[in-house]
Amino acid sequence: MSPFDPSERYAPLRDYALIGDGRTAALVARSGSIDWWCLPNLDSPSVFGALLDAERGGRFTLGPAEDAQVRRRYLPDTNVLETTFTTAGGRVRVTDALTLPLAGLEPFRELVRRVEGLQGHVLMRWRVEPRFGYGLDRTRIEPRRPFPVASSGGTALGVCAWDAGPVTCDAGGMAGSFEARPGSRATLVASAAYGEPLIFPGRDEVERRLDATVNFWRTWSAQLSYGGPWREAVVRSALALKLLVFAPSGAIAAAPTTSLPEQIGGERNWDYRFSWIRDASFTVESLLQLGCSSEARAFYWWFMHATQRTRPRVNVFYRLDGGTDAPEVTLPLEGYRGSRPVRVGNGAAGQLQLDTYGELVDAVYQFARKGHTRRLGTGGHVANIADFVCDHWREPDSGIWEERAEPRHHTQSKAMCWVALDRALALARAGLVPSGHADRWTREAAAIRQFIDVRCWSARKQSYVGYAGTEHLDASLLLLAIERYEEPDSPRLRATIDAVRRELGVGPLVRRYTGDDGLAGGEGAFTCCSFWLVEALGITGQRKEAERLMADLLALGNDVGLYAEEVEMGTGDFLGNFPQGLVHLALISAATAMHGQDA
Amino acid sequence: MSVWAALAGGFFGTLVLTTALAAGSQLRVTRMDIPFLLGTACTEDRTRARVVGYALHFLAGLLFALAYYAAFVVLGRAGWALGMVFGVVHALFSGTTLVNVLLPAVHPRMGTPSSAANSTPLLEPPGFMLLNYGRPTPVLTILGHMAYGAIVGAFVAAAAH
Repeated sequence: MSPFDPSERYAPLRDYALIGDGRTAALVARSGSIDWWCLPNLDSPSVFGALLDAERGGRFTLGPAEDAQVRRRYLPDTNVLETTFTTAGGRVRVTDALTLPLAGLEPFRELVRRVEGLQGHVLMRWRVEPRFGYGLDRTRIEPRRPFPVASSGGTALGVCAWDAGPVTCDAGGMAGSFEARPGSRATLVASAAYGEPLIFPGRDEVERRLDATVNFWRTWSAQLSYGGPWREAVVRSALALKLLVFAPSGAIAAAPTTSLPEQIGGERNWDYRFSWIRDASFTVESLLQLGCSSEARAFYWWFMHATQRTRPRVNVFYRLDGGTDAPEVTLPLEGYRGSRPVRVGNGAAGQLQLDTYGELVDAVYQFARKGHTRRLGTGGHVANIADFVCDHWREPDSGIWEERAEPRHHTQSKAMCWVALDRALALARAGLVPSGHADRWTREAAAIRQFIDVRCWSARKQSYVGYAGTEHLDASLLLLAIERYEEPDSPRLRATIDAVRRELGVGPLVRRYTGDDGLAGGEGAFTCCSFWLVEALGITGQRKEAERLMADLLALGNDVGLYAEEVEMGTGDFLGNFPQGLVHLALISAATAMHGQDA
Repeated sequence: MSVWAALAGGFFGTLVLTTALAAGSQLRVTRMDIPFLLGTACTEDRTRARVVGYALHFLAGLLFALAYYAAFVVLGRAGWALGMVFGVVHALFSGTTLVNVLLPAVHPRMGTPSSAANSTPLLEPPGFMLLNYGRPTPVLTILGHMAYGAIVGAFVAAAAH
């Protein structure tokens, strides 16, 4: 049986690795099948969408025709994937990358797959089945010369093959097979065009671009300033985050996928190809701590510009181009392992999530704290947000988890409102924000603290609770430590961390919350919460426990060091969108925070 | 009849034609991108190619307006309807010969049917009636050129009165 077994219609999410070029990204399975690629951008419709519909979605398979053992890795410090197949007859290496542009005329987007024979003889088979528009648009495949072309409307994909056997075309796609021998090298390129003629690259140029892409990633990784004990995981997380940065705008997508389920067969399937303001302060702080100041600056200006358009109200998330329109639509697809609905767009856009304001102002504060004060230029905007928080913090909201139940008085949301006012006051004291309303911000911040102290504390549980008037706990309470709402030596903070661990912890994993969230079905443990726990333990001085937990969590990543949004308790399978930026941000944040304590 | 009117009509006609094709590209109806095709004959830089291509397309628009003007003079009359007929002929000529045969022959980065193993075609050739760039492309091209012809014809006729 070849590594690509059609009877296994969906690969485990753990099997995927991500490649990308700062504009779009693709998921490559261990079998060698590329099951997810959106064109032309990260948030565009897919051309390979087998991840969401094995029949209709389309894919690009490449692998040995016989049973094989698979080993893979990213080339060190790069986002270029290397998969080695070992069969009874020999060994072959496949290198996958979305190449970065050099000077000269190159494809609009270029996916390169290089196949090198290492040992013996291995019969390799490949097949490209493009299906534009999530597999819902009509795809025309033509056996043109010099290379076959698939097209639909304004999008096209040309498949260039060198030393990869004679190419055959049928109504479903293009295919070929060839024998890999020691020293042989075959190259396959999917050249994409959007609204313009296709570019068919020369083979030498492709090889040059692939080498330059490897060099770029290595140079980029070398600038990362983290030198702590978890460097490999931190660098991999930074590289994964870099693939989520949409270079044309500087926005950072939460994940490159949509509708990967939080429970197999369940309805908790969301589109994460947007940029959440919530992640802003994490992102800015993490990028700055790693020395990625240009990415931090680009993201800072992107979200300040995007939020300017809706000021003083801040949307939960924005499109990668800064737009606000993201209507939620259900696609008639099977869904990953039958998990329907498959959604594009996101209905959470219109929710009130008060914590967003705190995260936004904290991001500005972090940016200023790192010395970017001269370029801040957004003082009036921050003052407006602080006033907005004063006007609205008493309202119930949907909270950090975007619950679709009735709005509630979430503790973490209130705490982040306090953070918004606290940071605005700090910025005002530094002369970076107009201080005309500072007295009001001080009064309201005190009122928020009193609300949390009185209404969000459970004497019985000896813990803060998820929302006012309940006994339910919520892992977002860990952020009270990370966002410095409470001092590290606060007894209430320590007691809350203990309670969260006691009630929501399952081994090294942490569930989001107890109680009803307005949706049917269950979910796995949220991976980011586990890293928050590591950081909270570290902040409150429980260093050894934090390090032990970190080691357990690092073992939960997949073979190339990536994490999904959730981990299924018991099996360890990945669930939810993959890879998720917030998890990798939380990993970096925990590692840098603890390393910072060492320094 | 005024040659200046023909040139003015050529300029505005090209503006409309270019805008129509750009809109078709943005609406995912076609991958036809005349400025990109023309500009890449001069440079490999994508951005610069589009700038150069726009300039070349407007220059071509003015030259074709002079040809239209000559035809109006020979026929002794001008008008938007006659210009529209010229536009259809112009579009058919472009789709079958000018862009399909002549442009690949002189374009240093475009393949032709005679491209062999020792050549490196980079740019997807347009094919008969530009069909390689999407099935609606011929219709859009003809409609765009009809608009161009109508504008040139109307400008020349207006100046004649």
